[in-house]
Amino acid sequence: MSFLEGFARTIDRLNETIGATVAWLALPMVLLQFLVVLLRYVFGYGHVAMQESIVYLHAAGFMLGAAAVLLRGGHVRVDIFYSARTMRGKAMTDLFGALFFLVPMAVLIIDVSLPIAIQSWSILEGSKETSGIQAVFLLKSLPVAFATLVLLQGLSMAARAALVLTGRLDTHLSPAARKEGAVQ
Amino acid sequence: MIAGDFLNVALILCLIGGLLLGFPVAFTLAGVSIIFAMIGEVFGIFSFSFLQAVAQRLNGTLQNELLMAVPMFVFMGVMLERSRVAEEMLESMGRMFGTLRGGLGISVSIVGALLAASTGIVGATVVTMTLLSLPTMLKNGYDPKLATGSICAAGTLGQIIPPSIVLVLLGDQLSSVYQQARMSIGDFSPQPVSVGDLFAGSLIPGLLLVGMYISYQAFIAIIRPSSSPALPPLEQEMSKADLLRSLGHSLVPPIILIVAVLGSILAGIATPTEAAGVGAIGATLLAGVRLDERHGWPIYFAGLSLIGMLVISQVMDVRITKQEYVATDWIGIGICILLGLLLLWGIVISLLRVWRTGILRTVVNSTMETTAMVFVILFGAAIFSLVFRGFGGEAAVHHILENMPGGAAGAMIVVMLVMFLLGFILDFIEIIFIVVPIVSVILFKMDVYPFSDPVWLGVMFAINLQTSFLTPPFGFALFYLRGAAPAGVRTGDIYKGVIPFILIQLTMLVLLVMFPEIATWLPRALFG
Repeated sequence: MSFLEGFARTIDRLNETIGATVAWLALPMVLLQFLVVLLRYVFGYGHVAMQESIVYLHAAGFMLGAAAVLLRGGHVRVDIFYSARTMRGKAMTDLFGALFFLVPMAVLIIDVSLPIAIQSWSILEGSKETSGIQAVFLLKSLPVAFATLVLLQGLSMAARAALVLTGRLDTHLSPAARKEGAVQ
Repeated sequence: MIAGDFLNVALILCLIGGLLLGFPVAFTLAGVSIIFAMIGEVFGIFSFSFLQAVAQRLNGTLQNELLMAVPMFVFMGVMLERSRVAEEMLESMGRMFGTLRGGLGISVSIVGALLAASTGIVGATVVTMTLLSLPTMLKNGYDPKLATGSICAAGTLGQIIPPSIVLVLLGDQLSSVYQQARMSIGDFSPQPVSVGDLFAGSLIPGLLLVGMYISYQAFIAIIRPSSSPALPPLEQEMSKADLLRSLGHSLVPPIILIVAVLGSILAGIATPTEAAGVGAIGATLLAGVRLDERHGWPIYFAGLSLIGMLVISQVMDVRITKQEYVATDWIGIGICILLGLLLLWGIVISLLRVWRTGILRTVVNSTMETTAMVFVILFGAAIFSLVFRGFGGEAAVHHILENMPGGAAGAMIVVMLVMFLLGFILDFIEIIFIVVPIVSVILFKMDVYPFSDPVWLGVMFAINLQTSFLTPPFGFALFYLRGAAPAGVRTGDIYKGVIPFILIQLTMLVLLVMFPEIATWLPRALFG
């Protein structure tokens, strides 16, 4: 196994593990939302931290899972021409897109979000409500985590595409994407 | 600024080219825009510091409570789909109406309208409907044109019938743009527009469309009986009572769920996010019953407990945040806690069942996939719109639309045509985030009824896009149907089959222009 392939596999495993884990956050999210509604409409009781925890679960779920979704092929493509292309053609699109579209987006998001996250950590920023969750710095770190994981996944995608183009790999799709089939 | 306009035109052309490459839309949007931002920076007509605003946008989006309805509606929709609730509905409706001429096609329209509602992704819905119903229709001698046309139309219709996630997203965009637009023309206390308004506004047009689809199918069944034959009676004839029971069994619970979710939003009792959360748990309970019908009682009890709690909370004072309590309060609270425990028991049983069958894993993973897909597009579109605005694009579009012959009507026609064309390459969600903010602000500022009515505009956009998804040769829905249909179905038949439905859509658009009240009456009646 070449270095590039090992690199791609390591990142894929990392993101798939994170994705398969954070996906489960959806369950406590809907349960808590249901509980909040019940407490409010039946018992007239509101709980700020509980309400806020839904935001945390929701945000963490899709922000940390977005890279895994990329790995699984879940981000929509305009596939009028893409689906008809050969494996090499698809690999070329993926290599080009990963390097020129995805990497700049991830770098930009890290660049603009990191100072805000650091600032928030430095004062351990909490909720505006006194009875809220005092961990807004975690929420504000999510864009950085999101962009970093997506950046890594984009590099894995580019590595696989490069291996296909040089004839050292049969398919540019990661095992996870192949298993999922064409999601969209 | 000439240079800015030039760059914007180049940006849009490159964007279309980039999208057609087939790399995921969200990243293409962002990447092409960033490359152009760099070019703009080099020529001194764009400042990269503009893009700092991306950080605020991201953090704002994360904490947007309304958008939290998206994962919850997806959870609900996928749960209903995976627990075969949709399939069973179609089966029992087919049995009920299938023995009538055209009955199967009509069943498809009704089920599509009901169940496609909660997902909001054209592809997924059309594929599901195709796999579920096309083989049965073809096997029974349906004209492939009529069969595929009905499926495409029904599958795309679900998007614009509330509750659907695209309407949540569209409502979110329209309401913030509307506020800004009203402020900028000197109205400092504009009537706020909510997702509830848009849900209410799209309900009647959506139901009218279903009605027209059904009428068309009935009409064809009468004038060309061979196109939509009745199913042969089953070998073992079911009694009328059994038929009704199976229909009630498969149809009533999901309808109650959808009506409860939609009703609580329209009645102004719950926010869309709250209603979606309740809908997600409701769908889980429904799945729990379906998976083990003989041991459905803990879940029936759970449902009854929920109703009981709601009733008690109306007739007794069970609030637990008061200073003083009287004896009857404690009785009420005690009963509610007991009922709550029963409800919890039912939810736990359901969760165990969906977990053991692997459905829960699929549901949470689909929820994450769809939510991430939607939000990353939102991020990409945010970057695009910052660059587009930085180049003066909004002012340019404003200028063009304002100078259209025919005033607001002319501008509206151009907007509709552009959206229709964009619908060939972009999905609903992308258009909502990219195009809607730019064009709707201008129509709002023109302040001409009905073009500046946010609800009417939202409904027009929705039906326009749905039509675009149906239109050959590029319509989204047709691709998905083609992919899921048996090889024997000719592409030409699919194209011919949707034409009548496109005409129905266009009729609806014309009706909406002539009688805007079709969309605007219900929200006004409900919310004032």
